[in-house]
Amino acid sequence: MFKSIKYVLHENVTNLFRIYSIAKYELLADMRDSKLGLFWNFAHPLIQVLTYWFAFGIVFNRKAVTSYGVTIPYIFWMMGGMVVWFFISPCITNGCNAVFSKVNVITKMKFPVSILPATVVLKELFNHFCLLVILFCIFLIGGIYPNIHWFGIFYYMLCAIIFAISLSMTTSVLNMLARDTRKLVLACMRLLLYLTPILWDIKQLKHMPAVVGYIMKANPIYYVVQGYRDCFFYHKGILFYHNSMIAFWIITIILFVFGSCMMYKFKHKFIDLI
Amino acid sequence: MEKEYAIEFRHVSKIYSLKSKNKEHAINKRFYALKDINFKIPKGEVVGILGTNGSGKSTMSIILAGISEVDEGEMIVNGEQALIAINTGLNPQLTGLENIELKGALLGLSKKRIKEITEGVIEFAEIGDFLYQPVKKYSSGMKSRLGFSINLCLDPDILIVDEALSVGDKGFAQKCINKMKELKATGKTIVFISHSLPQVRGFCDTAMWIEGGMLKEYGNIEEVCDHYAEYVDYYNALDNKAKKKERDEKFNKRIIPNVKKKGFFDRIFG
Repeated sequence: MFKSIKYVLHENVTNLFRIYSIAKYELLADMRDSKLGLFWNFAHPLIQVLTYWFAFGIVFNRKAVTSYGVTIPYIFWMMGGMVVWFFISPCITNGCNAVFSKVNVITKMKFPVSILPATVVLKELFNHFCLLVILFCIFLIGGIYPNIHWFGIFYYMLCAIIFAISLSMTTSVLNMLARDTRKLVLACMRLLLYLTPILWDIKQLKHMPAVVGYIMKANPIYYVVQGYRDCFFYHKGILFYHNSMIAFWIITIILFVFGSCMMYKFKHKFIDLI
Repeated sequence: MEKEYAIEFRHVSKIYSLKSKNKEHAINKRFYALKDINFKIPKGEVVGILGTNGSGKSTMSIILAGISEVDEGEMIVNGEQALIAINTGLNPQLTGLENIELKGALLGLSKKRIKEITEGVIEFAEIGDFLYQPVKKYSSGMKSRLGFSINLCLDPDILIVDEALSVGDKGFAQKCINKMKELKATGKTIVFISHSLPQVRGFCDTAMWIEGGMLKEYGNIEEVCDHYAEYVDYYNALDNKAKKKERDEKFNKRIIPNVKKKGFFDRIFG
């Protein structure tokens, strides 16, 4: 077990330049694909935010959300969480395909397969930064001003990155064993979005048994969403959510260990699994 | 003594599983892509691998390159080996220059090394003004030259060339062979997999003939090439029925029947 973790970590650390180059040129190739290029990296999430805002903010007439004595207009509150989803969601869907989409490379050259999840996440991270810039502008216009607590975002971003890599590590190998994994993941994405308290406040579950709330809070994605919102609006600090934090790291580490073991076990067998 | 060999195969076999005709999942046939292969390739030798379609040449190349693992036996390699994969890793949307960087990075070269090789690659590939054009606009020969020259910059000890020269025109092939002759002069071991007898005769020192997943002959270039040419002529002269019989015979030797198939979860935890 430790051998596999060491192997995966070593491969990733020694190939940082490779990861960076692959992510960079994938991103570039994506942009070259369309006439407007970079514009879509911004426009796509913006249009989605408008969709959800229209559906929930206007049609369902959701009121401002109050937590820890701070009231935030629904649109800002939602965007504070959605920005995480726009990062995690493509990481999960593309991460699942990370190894398979590079089949022509791994069958033709000696290639450290375990760096592929990291390349996918790094590529999405660029989009995430673009989005954060827009978000800051919107917040400034909306009267939410920067604060020292905003730096906490870097911690939560790191959490999101590690979680995304760990999950992709597992799903990408499973996807090589059976392509059904990706279909399953794609089908579950919408479910995951609504199961995670991003578009709705977790306090709306009050009428349910307490255990439901606990399960919701154990959701690693929610931990990051909550963290981002805390940095933006509530300023409670990282240690305030220690229970979620423990749950998050336990889940992430389990995923990472499992993913690494699988990666290690199948590192030379991928070619026979196509 | 050990050190003098670049590659040594000891009873190497590679097994693929075949889907059974009726949809009974429990029983699956298994198939020897390579069966009990033994040989030693001395350092600095240029070996041509010959064989008809489906005899296991490509499997051999990925095993030699260390991409795929052997199922039985063992392979001992002294030195770093690399497979020449011409069109792999080129992204059609990116320009020639970007592709040099991308493919260089994919092959694991450092940033500094990529800078060093760029000049040479551009020259060898003869892309000239096309350097800043997306690769999708390249002619296929140009693409191959680009891919090939990046690959050569990897500077491995053992070079595996699998049908790589069959893509370009004669000029390209000659250019590549000249380049490889340069490499040969520096003492590199080259494994050259090809259908083209003249190319093998012209370039290799020794030849290996694989037929039906088994090593048929390994030795002097002229002898093996002659025998191989004889066999091809003999095979082509057969009528269809005899050809089929010959194929079936070969196929049956490679099959291992009735092996229980491993399920999804067996593979994860087994």
